[in-house]
Amino acid sequence: MPIIPAELVHSGGMPSAAELEAKLLGSETLLANTPDHLIEVVDVLKSYGEVLDAYSTNLIFQAERQFLLPFPLFKYLDGDNSPARVWRHLNHDRINFEYAEYCMKAMLWHGTGGLDAYLDSEPFAANCAAIIAKKTRRDPLLALLHPLFPGFLTELIRTAATTHALGQFWRVMSDLFLDLARAEADGRVDSIDAVVEFIKDGLVAAAADPITYGVEVAGEHLWVLPPEAGLTFLVDVAVPYVEAVFLRGMPFLGTVSFNAQAHQISPDQAQFAYGALFADPLPSMGSGIPPSLLMQDMYRHLPQRLHSWYHQRTRGEGDVRVKICMSFQKSMFCVTNAAIRGTFPHPLGSTDPQARSANRAYAAAWASRLGVARTDCLDAQAPVA
Amino acid sequence: MLSLLLLIPFIGALVLVLWPGQPTPGRLRTITLAVLFLQLGWSLVVLSRFDPGNSAMQLQESHQWVTNIGLDYKLGVDGLSLPLVLINGALTLVSAICTRDISQRPRIYFALLLVISGAVNGAFLAENLLLFFLFYELELIPLWLLIGIWGGANRSYAATKFLIFTAVSGMLILGAFLGLSLFTGSVDFSLTPITSERLELGSQLVLLGALLVGFGIKVPLFPFHNWLPDAHTQASTPVSVLLAGVLLKLGTYGMLRFCLGLFPEAWAVLAPGLAIWAAVSVLFGSLAAIAQKDMKRMVAYSSVGHMGYILLAAAAATPVAILGSMFQMVSHGLISALLFLLVGIVYRKTGTRDLTVLHGLLNPERGLPFTGSLMILGVMASAGMPGMSGFISEFMVFRGSIVAYPLATLLGMVGSGLTAVYFLLLVNRAFFGRLAITPATDPVAHQRLDVRLAEVAPRETIPAVALAITVVAIGLLPAGLGRLSETTSTAIAQLPALVSALQSGGLG
Repeated sequence: MPIIPAELVHSGGMPSAAELEAKLLGSETLLANTPDHLIEVVDVLKSYGEVLDAYSTNLIFQAERQFLLPFPLFKYLDGDNSPARVWRHLNHDRINFEYAEYCMKAMLWHGTGGLDAYLDSEPFAANCAAIIAKKTRRDPLLALLHPLFPGFLTELIRTAATTHALGQFWRVMSDLFLDLARAEADGRVDSIDAVVEFIKDGLVAAAADPITYGVEVAGEHLWVLPPEAGLTFLVDVAVPYVEAVFLRGMPFLGTVSFNAQAHQISPDQAQFAYGALFADPLPSMGSGIPPSLLMQDMYRHLPQRLHSWYHQRTRGEGDVRVKICMSFQKSMFCVTNAAIRGTFPHPLGSTDPQARSANRAYAAAWASRLGVARTDCLDAQAPVA
Repeated sequence: MLSLLLLIPFIGALVLVLWPGQPTPGRLRTITLAVLFLQLGWSLVVLSRFDPGNSAMQLQESHQWVTNIGLDYKLGVDGLSLPLVLINGALTLVSAICTRDISQRPRIYFALLLVISGAVNGAFLAENLLLFFLFYELELIPLWLLIGIWGGANRSYAATKFLIFTAVSGMLILGAFLGLSLFTGSVDFSLTPITSERLELGSQLVLLGALLVGFGIKVPLFPFHNWLPDAHTQASTPVSVLLAGVLLKLGTYGMLRFCLGLFPEAWAVLAPGLAIWAAVSVLFGSLAAIAQKDMKRMVAYSSVGHMGYILLAAAAATPVAILGSMFQMVSHGLISALLFLLVGIVYRKTGTRDLTVLHGLLNPERGLPFTGSLMILGVMASAGMPGMSGFISEFMVFRGSIVAYPLATLLGMVGSGLTAVYFLLLVNRAFFGRLAITPATDPVAHQRLDVRLAEVAPRETIPAVALAITVVAIGLLPAGLGRLSETTSTAIAQLPALVSALQSGGLG
């Protein structure tokens, strides 16, 4: 057998957890600062921003306008049920909103943070009871369903609440990513560190934004997530989102299938590592594999600069979704980097030994999880070349 | 008319060798393709002039040559040789088309391809035993050179092994032909069926034995198969296509034409043993294929298995079985050529054929999805899935043989099942799962490898697509090929009965 040519396979370096921890504590970026990385991250986040705008609009529409509909056939149409729009939808000339729902379900299932805690609280149960009482009065189908399956409508309201919260979260992130693209075009952002700082500033600025959600039932406004619940953007939605979508994810069927009986899937849900930061950019592209849906959506909105950059590499248009996924993973490491930077318990420059120790423990906890992620994309000679 | 099938490639080879100046490899390839298109076109003309209803030799040409030793230039075509002539024309063309990036001595390479094609045509068309032997030997040296010069790292070993085995095969065949002359006391080497009528059964058995071993080496049948996997592994893709698709058929053609055709009485005596030999060969080839780690070796061993069916059908010698054996020759030629082409594409793109390192090549964006899809079609055809030529030929072989030799046929069916086993192993290992082309030394890092295979250009798959379409077309519409060979196969199948009738004076 001849030796396989070296240019056919590329193995990115995999930094150890200690190296990652040192970078986090030293305010260095996880992703190497190169001009190529800057193009990839900024442009892929720009297309992601445009996709998130559509996702956010649709999730908020679903939660507000399709609330407790037993058969939400037109939930992806954003209220525009014209024949032309239906035809475009059926012809698959559309955004894959299924991916947004997948992320929502990941958040709902993993259930971490303040939002999930509130969804299991007494005040939330009281809100649900009021909404269900109002709703079942005019809806015979729901009136029949509710006594038969008492938990069903409550669970649907939990789903709607998570849907709306994710819609609000993505609204902020969409604007942030599109602002980042403008800042890079203006020359205000010219390095990976500046990208991380920009995102961190955006997250910190929105950190305390309230997350609320109310619905109209029979002309009356009822709260699902009232202001007094005190839910906020960063702690109650952004952090659970990162946990559920970036880190844990779900062992969906892709090129690698998992056998739970053979203990290939951890019985401890907190140990799951199937999220965006761990995903293999080489999926089988079969239907129903969520990350590939996202790549298709971003492909629709790819900036010209990044598109031609992809054209010059590997198979050009032929493997563009794989390259988008690789760039997306790099950008998500930047977002994670920004989130970690913004949530250190103490300022990184602190000289207080206790504060330094707490920061070290915080960085170590993150580094140990990221150590097994797809960190091979982080170095300067990373793939997509 | 038939002479043109020899003259076109031979003159083409001469033109290539004598072409003035230093023509580029591309120019030489173009000339070769033109010659081969002409040859295929003329084969189709022969097909149009052929009368399928006539079982005798047709379009005959006869010229005296060296009459003293019984060597005459006599050509003819019948339903047994015509499909093989067509396959030869088509597959040599495929070989030339899939020859790319040849930098080393392209002039000689293409000339040798043409010489092989002409010699094979000569062997299939020869109506004189010595003429057949001449052409049979003539293709040997070019093929030896093709493996020995343009082969892989261990090419000298494989080429020499091939040469030794096939030379022994040639000696045995020549020995048998001369023995026939010796025992009959005649120097007439013209191909007349049942020449053996004038011989004692013992002499017939000796001569038939020599021919069986001689052709058994060429087919190849267990235990004479040893040269084939090495030759295939070291040969380049176009040569493998030619070797599996055309040259092995010289062995099976020889068995039907000369073993069964010249010695039907002795054949009938040996037939039960031959059926068992066929079954053993089928099972051995299939089981050996399961154990292979090299894709090309696996396909090569599958050839050993699939050629066994032809011997099984010949042993049964019923009209349906003989027709099945003809179908199997054509079908195996097309399918094995297709599989070797696809393995060649995988090898060219990945640099390896090792089934322990190849994974996930069906990956739609970074792998070889179209090649993989054709490979799945090819292995399904080889395993005898209905709708493809493999099913028709195997079904007819089994249908024609089961009454005469139920045990051997059942064992053959097991071999057919084993084909599915080893080819599914191949497809599962190389084409499913996560894309990888290197050994998994560190599983974590291995899952993270970025694999950058070059894309397969559509033009690279054109020959494979053409073969795949033909495989499906024969599977769906087998009647055309059947009509072409049916009369001849019925005539061949009647030979043993004819001999008994002659001996009992039934025809008198």
